[in-house]
Amino acid sequence: MRSWLILLGGLLLWAVHFFLLYGIGEFAGASAASRGAVLLLSGLALGAVGLLARQLLPLDRSDDFARWRAAVALGGLALSALAIAWQALPALIG
Amino acid sequence: MRSETGFDPALYDRFPTRGSRPKGEEEELRRIWCKPKGWEYLTVVNNNYVGIYYLGTAFLFFLTAGVLALLMRAQLAAPMLEILPQGTYNQVFTMHGTVMMFLFAVPAVEAAGVLLLPQMLAARDLPFPRLSAYAFWAYAVGGLCFFASIFVGLAPDGGWFMYPPLTSKAFSPGINTDFWLLGIGFIEISAIAGAIEIIVGVLRTRAPGMSLDKMPIFAWSMLVFAVMIVIAFPSIILGTLLLEIERALGWPFFDATRGGDPMLWQHLFWFFGHPEVYIIFLPAAGMMSMIVAAVAREELVGYRLIVLAMLATGFISFGVWAHHMFTTGMPPMTTGFFSAASMAVSVPAGLQVFSWIATLAIGKRSFNAPGLFVLGSIIIFVTGGLTGVMVAMVPFDWQAHDSYFIVAHLHYVLIGGMVFPLFAAFYYWIPMVSRRALSEPLAKWIFGLMFSGMNIAFLPMHLAGLQGMPRRVYTYLPGQGLELPNLISTIGAFMLAAGVLLFLIDLARNFRLAPGGGNAGNVYDGGTLEWLPSELYSTRSIPVVRSREPLRDDPKLVDDVAAGRYFLPGSATGLRETIVTSPLLAEPQYLQIMPGPSAWPFAAAVFTAGFFLALTVQAYMFGWVSGVLAVASVLRWLWETDRPVEQAEVDIGAGIMVPTYVTGPSSHGWWAMVILLVVMAMIFIMALFGLAFLWSNQPGFWTPPPKIGAALPVALLYGSALVAALAARRLLPRGAGGSAGLLLLSVLAAGVALWLDWSNWRASGLGPQASGQGATIYALQALQAFAVGTGLLMAAFCAARALRGLVSLPRNNSVDLTMLFLAYTAVQGLVAALFGRAFGMP
Repeated sequence: MRSWLILLGGLLLWAVHFFLLYGIGEFAGASAASRGAVLLLSGLALGAVGLLARQLLPLDRSDDFARWRAAVALGGLALSALAIAWQALPALIG
Repeated sequence: MRSETGFDPALYDRFPTRGSRPKGEEEELRRIWCKPKGWEYLTVVNNNYVGIYYLGTAFLFFLTAGVLALLMRAQLAAPMLEILPQGTYNQVFTMHGTVMMFLFAVPAVEAAGVLLLPQMLAARDLPFPRLSAYAFWAYAVGGLCFFASIFVGLAPDGGWFMYPPLTSKAFSPGINTDFWLLGIGFIEISAIAGAIEIIVGVLRTRAPGMSLDKMPIFAWSMLVFAVMIVIAFPSIILGTLLLEIERALGWPFFDATRGGDPMLWQHLFWFFGHPEVYIIFLPAAGMMSMIVAAVAREELVGYRLIVLAMLATGFISFGVWAHHMFTTGMPPMTTGFFSAASMAVSVPAGLQVFSWIATLAIGKRSFNAPGLFVLGSIIIFVTGGLTGVMVAMVPFDWQAHDSYFIVAHLHYVLIGGMVFPLFAAFYYWIPMVSRRALSEPLAKWIFGLMFSGMNIAFLPMHLAGLQGMPRRVYTYLPGQGLELPNLISTIGAFMLAAGVLLFLIDLARNFRLAPGGGNAGNVYDGGTLEWLPSELYSTRSIPVVRSREPLRDDPKLVDDVAAGRYFLPGSATGLRETIVTSPLLAEPQYLQIMPGPSAWPFAAAVFTAGFFLALTVQAYMFGWVSGVLAVASVLRWLWETDRPVEQAEVDIGAGIMVPTYVTGPSSHGWWAMVILLVVMAMIFIMALFGLAFLWSNQPGFWTPPPKIGAALPVALLYGSALVAALAARRLLPRGAGGSAGLLLLSVLAAGVALWLDWSNWRASGLGPQASGQGATIYALQALQAFAVGTGLLMAAFCAARALRGLVSLPRNNSVDLTMLFLAYTAVQGLVAALFGRAFGMP
């Protein structure tokens, strides 16, 4: 289970962030408070990405599998950070 | 990470073994995995046969849906033609989309998985061969009956996404829509059965040593594909169930005048429908990655990035469903989120495309048949991807929505992303199953016709769409500038069809099935395990995998495997068997005894299809009889399974001993049950979403629910059901009878809780036909009743086995799985009781 969490941690963060944002948009509407909540959540999600990165960077890389796991995990985290930031933009501009 | 299970990786150094193998070992394997004869072809469960059946049937549906497309193009070749009457045209375009998406695309890639994965992973077969057979027969029988509806004018005619209110009883009073709802809902169950098989197969039956970082890209793509099915398809199963209930019983889930909402259907449909595009694309992308490496004779560039791209696509594609709904008046901020996610998902797709281009650029590429189709696929898919980014932008989508621009875009994506890769795969892998490879010279003509025909057919559609031609019109007026693009499109469609016809001729000339060996072999010099010499039992022995392309990296591997110098060179128990390995590092864990051919999966599939089809044509008595026979067939099929063999431990090669019977979280059955429970949980979560959605959008129709305190006895009973289920497993070492009794007690407690919950709601005065809220509350109860009913069958099954002395002690898989199911049922019931009361509390 730990290995799966390492591999998918970043993408899971993206998923939680996206569905919370969707929940705000769908059920709370587009008020100033909703926009604030979206930005707050996005900030928290990016903070969580940072924390996860701190956990992943010192991961064991002593064999092929460990190196592969660390690379995929960090790549997923980078992609998730990009998607989370991108996802927050509609609340900033609209 | 040294070891996942405590297995010592140094033991791999014992392979390849030395010395000759005992005489008769290979003959025994042939006897155990023997060829079917006569009617046994219906009861066969071996993936070599089921995979071919599956693929052949999917291709048949591709051809039939293609003929429907030609009929449409003939009708649209010129303005005001009358080749097809308007009503028939509606049926034809609905069936074209439905058959291509549900009966061709998903089953074709699932079929490719069933056929290729055991060979690629060097397993004897997938872990649930009877489930594969059931999934195939259910799909084949159900699909053919569904397709036949067009010959009697009863085919659905509401478009492949069946939006209400057009498809409600008021506007579609016949049974055409019911054919779609029941037929497709049923076929999706078959797809889920296949997905469970593939997930467990990929994660638990890989050759020893094939850790995740050494797994072929196609296996990765099939893993992500199957997980996506498990998450996405429950949504459409629930949607079709609710719409059918609305039509049959008048429960207003989607009727805005009675507190329902047609937008709920769109959410349920597209939560499945958009991931469906990636569900189709990912396995095809997996095939592309395998073929590109072989065609370029170069290791795939960016293996890690491709795995990452597949995983990311699997996630982000679930955040784009509402981009099909930009014109429905969703809140602007929500629209923005979906637009952003739609652009974000192009990043992982782009990673894969750049990897293919880079591999082709640095390799010694040859434009043989698979190479041509790979190249064509990249060009077409990238074009479709670019128009996809265009329609991800909301203002552009408002202009292009429901026009021929969208028709062009989706065909570029699907033909480039799935059809061309599939043809590349046909050329690449047919030598694995046929005595002869397909013709290279003919392939160039076929590719030329298909590639040019595709572009001639669909490129002008962008123009027709931008000129204002709406999709799904059966004709158009002259003088609007639409004549020429439509005529060109029709010519292109027939060119594309001519290419497919030539391919059929090539198949007829060269394809000669060789499931038991004697195939054409590794024509394109692939480096993965499916190119090891194989017979019906797969490879003679199961190799230790030390790299991603073992055949390239170890030239002696082929001979050593064929000589039986690796794992499982013979049968250790005299039965069908395969090695179950750990999910991350593929360390050997135990020997799975596999079930052989059986008529029961076939019978179960036929009766299941009979049940759904009889309901469609309102032959209720026949339907219920079929349903009971289907359940009886499944129980009979399962009765023969879960029996430990005499040898508790066996030598699987080089003195390495593993057990032959394992229970609990390590067992493949446990994994399958957990995945099934995820499917059930997704159906349930989507139903909860429906309730929340209606509460948010139709507050005027909301009735105050019963007080939450009234749920206390319900909660206590569900809690008791949970405790009884868990205790049943704990008490098994003391005797099977007591354990089975506790399982039955758990069902009883859950049943009483359900009845109490239902009584509460009845007493509140809210009925299922009163409003969308009432309909959804009773739908949740119906789901719970289904779970309790299934739990009762399972507990009774365990009790019957206990009476016959078939429950092994101290642990037993049937009891374990029933416990898991009942525990889930109790939790689901509790959540339903609380959630229904929480919304709209005074």
